[in-house]
Amino acid sequence: MSEQAMIRIENLHKSFGALEVLKGVDLDVARGEVVVILGPSGSGKSTMLRCVNRLEEPTSGHIFIENDEVTDRKTDINKIRERVGMVFQSFNLFPHLTAKSNIMLALRKVKKMDKDEAEQKAVEGLARVGLADKADVYPIMLSGGQQQRVAIARALAMDPHVMLFDEVTSALDPELVREVLDVMKELAKGGMTMLVVTHEMGFARDVASRVVFMDEGVIQEQGTPQEVFDNPQNDRTKDFLGHIR
Amino acid sequence: MEAVIEYLESIKFIHLMMSPTIIWNALPLLFKGFLASLALLIGGYLLSLPTGLAAAFMKMAKNPIFRWPATFYVDFIRGTPLIVQILIIYFGVPLLVPGWREFQQSWFGQIKVFGVIDMNQYVRAILALVINSGAYLAEIFRAGIQSISKGQLEAARSLGMTTAQAMGYVIVPQTVRRILPTMMSEFILLFKDTALFFAVGIFELTLQARTIQARLFNMSPYIGAALFYLMLTIPLGRLVAWLEARLAVSETGREPENRQERKRRKAARAKEAAA
Repeated sequence: MSEQAMIRIENLHKSFGALEVLKGVDLDVARGEVVVILGPSGSGKSTMLRCVNRLEEPTSGHIFIENDEVTDRKTDINKIRERVGMVFQSFNLFPHLTAKSNIMLALRKVKKMDKDEAEQKAVEGLARVGLADKADVYPIMLSGGQQQRVAIARALAMDPHVMLFDEVTSALDPELVREVLDVMKELAKGGMTMLVVTHEMGFARDVASRVVFMDEGVIQEQGTPQEVFDNPQNDRTKDFLGHIR
Repeated sequence: MEAVIEYLESIKFIHLMMSPTIIWNALPLLFKGFLASLALLIGGYLLSLPTGLAAAFMKMAKNPIFRWPATFYVDFIRGTPLIVQILIIYFGVPLLVPGWREFQQSWFGQIKVFGVIDMNQYVRAILALVINSGAYLAEIFRAGIQSISKGQLEAARSLGMTTAQAMGYVIVPQTVRRILPTMMSEFILLFKDTALFFAVGIFELTLQARTIQARLFNMSPYIGAALFYLMLTIPLGRLVAWLEARLAVSETGREPENRQERKRRKAARAKEAAA
C-alpha cells in the first residue's frame, strides 16, 4: 500500500438479505484528495460510504484507513471513528443539547477533554462555520443549513483525518445549499481528505480532485472532473449525466 | 355552619351518599387507608422501573433467549386482568415459597409498613404490582427508545462513542423526556389499581371505606375515599398535561395550536377591554 493512501477499499461487497447492493468496489483515496461519488439512487454510493466507518457491516472485502484495517474485527472501531468524521443527510444533531454542547459531548466523553478546553474548541468550531452567535441555541431553533454547519463543526472538532459527507445538502431548501457547500469548499482548500456523496454537480466540477461514477453496485468510471463531465467513456455515465443536465 | 350541615343531612340523598358528618368521622380511618395505598404505590412503582427497563431491553434483543421470555411476559400480563394476577400471586406465594409461613409469623413478617400494612402482605402485594406495572412500563420504554431516530445512534457512534455512551448521553436522555408524561400516567393508573387489593383483605383506602360503609349502611365513606384518590390524581393529571405541552414546545419549537389559540384570544380580549 502506498504511503499516502488515506482510505483503501478492496473488493467490497455488501448485501441486504438477497439484495446485493455492492458488487465488488475498489477505491483508493490519497491524503488531501477530494473524491466526489456520483450515481443514481440505489447505486450503492451511500452504502459504500457507510461501510468506510462500519456503520454498515460489509459482507466481504477489506477497508483500510491509514494502514488500520476497518474490516478486521480485532480493530477498535471507536478509535478509527475518532479519525473519520461523518456528516449525514438528516443532520442528526442531538436535539436535547445546544449547538455548543453537541460539539462538546464527544470531545468530553471520547477525547476526555476537560470542560473548558472542550468549550473553547466548540466555540472556535462554530466560528469556523460562521455560527459563533448560535453557541447556546438548540438545534430546533436553527435553519437546516445552520444545523448542517453545526453538524460539520461537530465532526471537525474531533480533528478527523478524513471526512465523509453523505448527501449532506439533499434535505436542504435550495437557498440553504450554498452556505453548506461553501463550508465544504473551505475545508477542501485547507487540505482535508474528503469522500463526498452528492448530487451537486457544480460542487463536483469545482472542488473534486477526482469524480467517481457508481451504478449497480460497482464503480463504472472515474477520473478528473473534466474527464468525467466533458468526455465520459462509459454509456451509463453518459446516460446519467445526460439526464441531469 | 351547624345549621347548614343539619340541613344537608336532612336531604335523604345527600345523607346516604355524601353525608358530611359520616365522611368527617371516617377521615382518620380513611387516612390510614390512604397511607397504605401510597405505600403500595410507591414501593410498586419504584421497583417496576428497573423491571420494566430490563424487560424492554430484553424485548429489543436480537437473541431469542432474551426476546421470547420478555415477549411472553409482556403479552401475558397486558392480556390478563390485574385482579387475576393479584389472586395468583398473593395466594400463590405462600403455597410456592418455602418457609413462607415462618416468615409470615416472624417479627419481620409482622412489621407494619407505613404503620398500616403487615410486611408479609406488603411483600406479596408489591410483587404483584411490580410484575404488572413492569410489563406496561416495558412497552412504554421500548416504544420510547425506538421512537428516537436511528440517525441519533449513528451520529453518536460515528463520533467514536461506544454503544453504552451513545445510549447514556444521547438516546436515554431524549427517551426520558419524551416518555415522562406516559410514565406519570402509568403512575396514576397504578395508584387507582391499588384499590383492587381490597379483594385480598389489605386495608388500603377502598377496604377501609368498605368496612365503614358495611357498618353504617351508608355510601358516604366511598365518596370520602374518592376524595382521597382525587387529591393525588387530579394534580398529577394536570402535571402530565403541562409536561406534554412543554414537550411539544421543545420538539417542534412552537407551542401547540390550542395554546397559541388561547393566547391569541386572551390578547384580543385584553385589546377589546382596553378600547
